[in-house]
Amino acid sequence: MTELLVKNACVIDPIRGINGEIMDIAIRDGRIVESVSDRAESIDAQRCLTLPGGIDSHTHVCGTKVNFGRYMSPEDMRAGRTQRRGRMHVTSGYYVPTTFGNSYRYSAMGYTTLLEGAMAPLEARHTHEEFTATPHQDMLANTLFDGNWAVMDAVREKNINKAAAIVGWTLNAVKGYGIKLTNPGGTEAWGWGEDLTGIHEHVPHFEVTPAEIITTMIQANELLKLPHSVHLHCNNLGKPGNYQTTLDTFELVPDLNPDRQTLYATHVQFHAYGGGTWRNICSKAEEITRSVNSKPQIVMDMGQIMFCRTMTMTADGPMEFNLHCLHHNKWSNHDVELETGSGIIPVTYSKKSAVNCIMWAIGLELALLTKSPWQCLLETDNPNGAPFVKYPEVIGLLMSKRYRDEECATLHADTEKRTSLCALEREMDWHDIAVMTRAGQAKALGIISQGKGHLGIGAEADIAVYPIRTDSVDPAREYRKVVEGFQKTRYTIKRGRVVSRDGEIIVDGANATFWVNAKVPEDLRMENDPEFIKRFEQFYTVRMSNYPVQDVYLPRGRCIETEAFT
Amino acid sequence: MKCILNTGRTVPQGTAVEHKGSDAYRAVASACFLNPVDMLILGIENGARVGITSPAGHVVLTAISAEGVTRGEIFVTIGPYANHIISSETHGTGMPDFKNQSIKVEPTEEPVMSVGELMEEIGGLRYDRQ
Amino acid sequence: MIVSDVVCPFCGCLCDDLELDVEGDRIMHVQNGCSLAESTFMHDTRLPAPIRRTTTGWENISYDEAIKETADILKDADRPLLYGWSSTHGEAQSVGVHIAELIGAVIDNTSTVCHGPSILAIQEVGHPGCTLGQVKNRADVIIYWGCNPIEAHPRHMSRYTTFATGFFVPDAQRERMVIVVDTRRNDTANIADEFVHMEPGGDYAVLSALRAIVRGKESILPKKVAGISKEQLIRIAGICTNAKFGAIFFGLGLTMSRGKYKNVRNAIELTDELNRHTKFVISPMRGHGNVYGSNEVFTWMTGYPFAVDFARGIAFYNPGETTAVDILRREECDAALIVASDPGANFPRDAAAHLAKIPTVVIDPHVNATTALSHIHIPCTAAGIDAAGTAYRMDGVPIRLKKVIERGYPDDAEILKKIYDRLNGGTGP
Repeated sequence: MTELLVKNACVIDPIRGINGEIMDIAIRDGRIVESVSDRAESIDAQRCLTLPGGIDSHTHVCGTKVNFGRYMSPEDMRAGRTQRRGRMHVTSGYYVPTTFGNSYRYSAMGYTTLLEGAMAPLEARHTHEEFTATPHQDMLANTLFDGNWAVMDAVREKNINKAAAIVGWTLNAVKGYGIKLTNPGGTEAWGWGEDLTGIHEHVPHFEVTPAEIITTMIQANELLKLPHSVHLHCNNLGKPGNYQTTLDTFELVPDLNPDRQTLYATHVQFHAYGGGTWRNICSKAEEITRSVNSKPQIVMDMGQIMFCRTMTMTADGPMEFNLHCLHHNKWSNHDVELETGSGIIPVTYSKKSAVNCIMWAIGLELALLTKSPWQCLLETDNPNGAPFVKYPEVIGLLMSKRYRDEECATLHADTEKRTSLCALEREMDWHDIAVMTRAGQAKALGIISQGKGHLGIGAEADIAVYPIRTDSVDPAREYRKVVEGFQKTRYTIKRGRVVSRDGEIIVDGANATFWVNAKVPEDLRMENDPEFIKRFEQFYTVRMSNYPVQDVYLPRGRCIETEAFT
Repeated sequence: MKCILNTGRTVPQGTAVEHKGSDAYRAVASACFLNPVDMLILGIENGARVGITSPAGHVVLTAISAEGVTRGEIFVTIGPYANHIISSETHGTGMPDFKNQSIKVEPTEEPVMSVGELMEEIGGLRYDRQ
Repeated sequence: MIVSDVVCPFCGCLCDDLELDVEGDRIMHVQNGCSLAESTFMHDTRLPAPIRRTTTGWENISYDEAIKETADILKDADRPLLYGWSSTHGEAQSVGVHIAELIGAVIDNTSTVCHGPSILAIQEVGHPGCTLGQVKNRADVIIYWGCNPIEAHPRHMSRYTTFATGFFVPDAQRERMVIVVDTRRNDTANIADEFVHMEPGGDYAVLSALRAIVRGKESILPKKVAGISKEQLIRIAGICTNAKFGAIFFGLGLTMSRGKYKNVRNAIELTDELNRHTKFVISPMRGHGNVYGSNEVFTWMTGYPFAVDFARGIAFYNPGETTAVDILRREECDAALIVASDPGANFPRDAAAHLAKIPTVVIDPHVNATTALSHIHIPCTAAGIDAAGTAYRMDGVPIRLKKVIERGYPDDAEILKKIYDRLNGGTGP
């Protein structure tokens, strides 16, 4: 039995309605308890800001395309390298760090749970191997279904039960957490080098539209009672004028779940462009947020870009190819049979580019114009918008108009007239930030019941103590202190153990992987469906019996069972 | 005669690859393939031995006639025989010149060495027990 | 007893549809595999016990002794080299990297003399590729360039390309066009629809010529390029631009010929160019069953896919400097651990010779050429036969190798962990 007492913590715990109370947190055997014995080890948080461990609801850190990003970028590996030291392995990489690099740097920032943004089912084993090598964060895998042949057939047949059964089988087989759709239908078109330009366009051969895929999957998601909602990377990412696609997509979303959103729209900055060309592109953040503000069934994340060189990597193969044609940087592509695609290419976001400046402004506008911080979460689509180590700077910008003004003064001259950022006065407060970086994610991902995202009795003791005294720092003026404060915790506690202290990892990790087993009724199960089996026999290149991820790949798997179809 | 060296895998080499002490492996790895016209010019029959020399070394192989091989090319299965005459210079790439080298090919009466003998020539001690 | 859906660990195809007839600790029959698979599973002779070289011959030693002495050799070395890794599973590869990091060694894998140049090219221009099932289901044009699948990847054509029935290509033999580009008319060329007979060393020029044609600049070409007529080049380029889905598979013909990674780069850039006209992909034909796995494991752990040098306490990568052949040629390493590979047979003689001059330990199920150059050889399981573990297919798809029989050997991951423990004073990686 191990006990720990965190004393004098200035706790902000939005899920439990606590906002800046000084309290002690008692921990026993990895969970928060009422009290501990005198023998408990104790830490004095010295009235510092103490939050539940950070949760990243959309980050690309593990799997085939992330590793592609690494090995094609030795120049980045060199840029971000650190030495072996104490319990810390060597790390490499700045915008696509190695797995240990990701884990240590996230831990230094107080993050204890990560959702991998995209996992192709066929290659899930690779994702899980890298999960185990990201030892200080509990991991969850967004599982890609956007170009899934079995799903598209079910959508065409208007058979929601079947779509749900396919998802259920697949999540169980690959130990996935939720449904991810990236450019739905578009990734299949990219199998032929094509793309879709609207949500009512038909996917070649399969004759379904993105709108149909999205609505069917939303229904299937709720039928399966999955803890997370459908997680969507909208069609037409990155194209001037695409905001209409985004609004049209939002119009499709019913309100089906009382506990959380029915659609999680990710990195919406990339989907909020007006105009029609690169020359007249402008921000449509106002229109987007007007829609989201009136739809509690939608939660989005920012997709903030920052000015730096970084790596884009998504399942959106055609988009990445277009980016390659624009920038001429080295380009990798990896389409996955019967399932999805991916593309990887480095980019540089520069203040000299009017387009990049507008993109930067849009991300911040989305956050500032969304009334409830629960509906717009802080993300950069790591590393697509910026490496996650830049989150503290994003926090600083959201909390300080002065910081934003100083940045705006250095932007391209066109930014002001094509965005409204400079006119926005709102400054997020500590509570808003706590929502946008952990509480909101916990709610959106459906892991509050797993004890994540809050510090109530019974919660997992994932805690971040930041070197910030909220009573003596004015975030609106002293944004530098805010940025520095969020870069490195005093203590990051994971399941009751101090894993990081002032940025140094001091123990080896033992993370858990959360996955979902939605219990589908016997007569609907895919293992009994001859057509489903036939696809494996004839069109996949891996046998059905070799496809599922064996238990050995999840040394500490946490299975969440749901009573689907009830 | 000067030839351009080409090396590669073959099925017989692959089937014997984990039995490098065997006669089967020795037979496939020490075989080289020449165009029939080149063999005529060298004055050798199918199965005759040839001595291959490069700046890096010298090795004796058994010549087999193969029409698919172009005039002026010599194909040798990948393995210790081919490597006996390949230099370890990689031009900064890590990859030696396994293909495209110009080498000398001449008929010879010297015997074909076994893999064990090749290894002993470079300082090893063969392990024969199985 | 029949074991089905067995994964063959031999080559990069990682065929996973084999059926084995197993009796006790013997594999009696292999169904669905090629002759390389049959040899792998049925003619699997092992070194019975660890051996150590003496002044006069070889002596048997115990596993404990062998492990202890190996740890001592590595600990005493100033610049140890840990090489190979391509035929074992990811679990062992991970421990290898941990050992290298712990003792500041150089760790390299067989890509270094195989598709290392392909990796260098990818690091310059990227890799537009896909999984093999995409090719099987869609490709109507297949190009084999500088490789010979009939001999090196015997079931590649029947499982993934020429003869494989695909969803959109149901009449594979009629609907697919196969082009072979090579310096000699090999067996694959004999069954191709078109053979492009190229002079040795001509790859770069021919690729450039094709790119020029695809860009509409055929007028600048001479009558022949590397022995190939302009007419044939124009025809080939036309087949490519008119394809619905084209796939280029390439091998050592590109990586080992003059130009090496520049050849591969040019092929990738041709693929890139073709993507502006239609859908095209390019893939390296990886040789060993799990060489891609060693690239993947090395990369997520260290940042680099091969030739990783930990001597500075960081991960450092510089092919030409930190690659195994160069380190051996410069006689820079003073101890070597060779795992699941055979540099004695596959390295140029000078590099292999150095292994005999330093204390070299081999961990491999089979006696191989490197055994003769080593000081200690420790036999272990063979991944995919008597040890289960992860392997990565040539297209990056990870498959779990099965343990089909038990032969009483320790898993090489276990041996390596014990070595690690001895080097680390008792605690695991």
